[in-house]
Amino acid sequence: MSEFFHRKLERSAIGFVLAIIAAASVGGIVEIAPLFTIDETVEAAPDMRLYTPLELAGRNIYVREGCYACHSQMIRTLRDEVDRYGPYSLAVESKNDHPMLWGSKRTGPDLARVGDKYGDAWHVAHLTYPRDVVPESNMPAYRWLARTELRIDDLSEHLAAQRMVGVPYTDEMVKDARADAYAQANPDTDGVPGVMQRYGDETQVRAFDGVTSQLTEMDALVAYLQILGRLTDAAHKNTAAPETSPQPLD
Amino acid sequence: MISTLTRTERFLALWISMAVSICGLALAIAGREDPLLIHGLLILLFGLVCSYIVMFGYEEKAPGTERLSLYYDEPIKAGVIFAMIWAVFGMFMGVWVAAQLAWPDLAFDAPWSGLGRLRPTHTTGVIFGFGGNALIATSFHVVQRTSRARLPDQLSSWFVLVGYNMYCLIAVSGYLLGITQSKEYAESEWYADIWLVLVWVTYFVLYIRTLARRKEPHIYVANWYFLAFILVVAILHIVNNLAVPVSLGHAKSYTVWPGVQDAMVQWWYGHNAVAFFLTSGFLGMLYYYLPVRAQRPIFSYRLSILSFWGITFFYMWAGSHHLHYTALPDWVQTLGMTFSIMLLVPSWASAGNALLTLNGAWHRVRDDATLRFMMIAAVFYGLSTFEGSFMAIRPVNSLSHYTDWTIGHVHAGALGWVALITFGSFYTLVPVLWKRRQMYSPALIEWHFWLALAGTLIYVFAMWNSGIIQGLMWRTYTEEDTLAYSFVDSLKAMWPYYVARAFGGLLFLIGAIICLYNILMTIRSPDKAESRDDVPHPADLALAGE
Amino acid sequence: MDHEFWVVFSKSWGLFYLIAMAVAVVIYAFWPSNRRRFDKAKHSVLEREDEP
Repeated sequence: MSEFFHRKLERSAIGFVLAIIAAASVGGIVEIAPLFTIDETVEAAPDMRLYTPLELAGRNIYVREGCYACHSQMIRTLRDEVDRYGPYSLAVESKNDHPMLWGSKRTGPDLARVGDKYGDAWHVAHLTYPRDVVPESNMPAYRWLARTELRIDDLSEHLAAQRMVGVPYTDEMVKDARADAYAQANPDTDGVPGVMQRYGDETQVRAFDGVTSQLTEMDALVAYLQILGRLTDAAHKNTAAPETSPQPLD
Repeated sequence: MISTLTRTERFLALWISMAVSICGLALAIAGREDPLLIHGLLILLFGLVCSYIVMFGYEEKAPGTERLSLYYDEPIKAGVIFAMIWAVFGMFMGVWVAAQLAWPDLAFDAPWSGLGRLRPTHTTGVIFGFGGNALIATSFHVVQRTSRARLPDQLSSWFVLVGYNMYCLIAVSGYLLGITQSKEYAESEWYADIWLVLVWVTYFVLYIRTLARRKEPHIYVANWYFLAFILVVAILHIVNNLAVPVSLGHAKSYTVWPGVQDAMVQWWYGHNAVAFFLTSGFLGMLYYYLPVRAQRPIFSYRLSILSFWGITFFYMWAGSHHLHYTALPDWVQTLGMTFSIMLLVPSWASAGNALLTLNGAWHRVRDDATLRFMMIAAVFYGLSTFEGSFMAIRPVNSLSHYTDWTIGHVHAGALGWVALITFGSFYTLVPVLWKRRQMYSPALIEWHFWLALAGTLIYVFAMWNSGIIQGLMWRTYTEEDTLAYSFVDSLKAMWPYYVARAFGGLLFLIGAIICLYNILMTIRSPDKAESRDDVPHPADLALAGE
Repeated sequence: MDHEFWVVFSKSWGLFYLIAMAVAVVIYAFWPSNRRRFDKAKHSVLEREDEP
């Protein structure tokens, strides 16, 4: 019976194609479909903030320069990782991330909780020439970030696209994206209260690259790095203990 | 090239090239304030060059119906050369990136030369440029020979080949410009992705149409593997790349998948790109060129069928082993681990089948470097699939993940399996395509073989060492229960291995350059084969070893 | 269609599918009358002719 079936399948190449699709798609469907309802089981994080337009622009620079190739943003549930990098990453922390930047390789350290670990000046010096700060580092230098003006005129479109894929930006946020990006890096301007009101009181407002005269890509990237791991406190409140790394060599 | 197209096809080709140019122009205008401008202009230029080529040959004499009694090999020839050019480019980028890890100042003070932008040009260059062109070329050859049918028309195969190379060009140039989705092995942006879908659908339809013309009721097993490769890659590509562009005038887009789901979709894609691009397609190559070169039928045809369905079914479940100990639910991680281990069965069945085919012809493996390429490829396939299953076990993964061990594993597969089987197939295919008695220089094949093998071994051993050292240093505690090493300590320990890795890669690159040279010289050599046999004579095989 | 439903569905039906698939493939591969076809296919790539 099955033999007859297979022969028919094979005789018409189309039948064979359907058989391949049937065999191949099950694994994906079975593993992925349940993840779309996972929100029901994911930890709630009512305090979760959104990326500000400046931070989103910084995130896009992180993506553009391929930082994810060497830095992960996913602390695993292993004791040594928690001791080194901080509380392990929760699903909810990346629920607004399009795309996720968990990474797959640590040529450099994990960055999931790097926010506020170093000062802005350290980041600027480090990005300008890493070996000035960490002599052994093999990270590329990103000197041009500080001399490249940040493009902000299209940030409303970016926020609108993010909203379309499910990030809950409000109309006001979309409309004022450009002004908010500018104000976040210029603490003495009129736009600051608006940023705080829209994105929360904990939003960091300062001249990230140390210069207020121009809004640069350095401002945006540092603003993004400084927010990493600080959009919600959920991970710090999580009480489940991490696993001790298996030690096969002991 | 144009002379082999019929009048109607020339008209269509011109029309398609013009349409591509217009799309390029439209993109350039819409994206005039965005990096998209450069890509628009690039597409415009590409379309114009194609139009020019078609117009230049437009009035040549049209081919007669006698063409129908011959196989259509022109696009295969072009595909082999494209593949080797991409190989040299992609491997050069790899060596450069590897050198940057050891000597980080080996870059210009310009955005495009940073490691993060160069790395995807390496991965895309070798996987899609080299691997993809090799797969397209060999699949066109195998499907015609095993079906005893000519490709149904001339234009589709050129559309697939040229269109695919345009995709690779857009992708690679985009990474240098900073245009990327950041999805590993799927970094190209929305417009390139849409173009690839068009190309791929044409490829699929062409393949099915050729199979439909076959003279045998049974489809030879190599075609199953090629078909699974074409089909599943289409599914993976479409699902993983669903995205919303910022606007039609922006190169940038945002994926529709959020956080955890994005991670799962990405690694479902990433792992199955390995399965169906780098395994299934190349197994198709193996199941044709190995028996042909060895002049022995495959050891067990049944085994090849069983392993085909095993691979097609099991691989799809294994992707989640890339996400052990992350925020992905535990049961999905466990499922991924279980199926990864089960995968070892069909994988080793394939590797064993290949090696047993050679059993009884070992003297030929000794004498013929081409056959040796294929044998070592099968060995590396067996080794790296074992390693893959091993690394998918959660406790092992806790050590290996995020370290260079993964890089070593990938290259054991990519250099040892994918590249070596391709070189072996090309050395078998090139004399057949250009109707030469043998390759220009058998001695250069020997050189290539030993350079490639030495390069692979140096690379893989360096990465095993550095990966395991990294993993252990990160998790070592002092007696006071604090972490023993800082991250920088582990980085310092990597330096000698990074140097060794760059050196291994350099050897492999030199081998690939030799291969390209050998192929070009074979084409130029006047030594035409008298007979039109599709396979080398045993006498040539012996010659090749001298 | 809540999360529980999908998880139970995945964990049970995935397994049945796997077994049914494996059985069908093994039967096909070892069906006696297929032997001749496979043998023919096996040797077909070694035939020397270069025309469709």
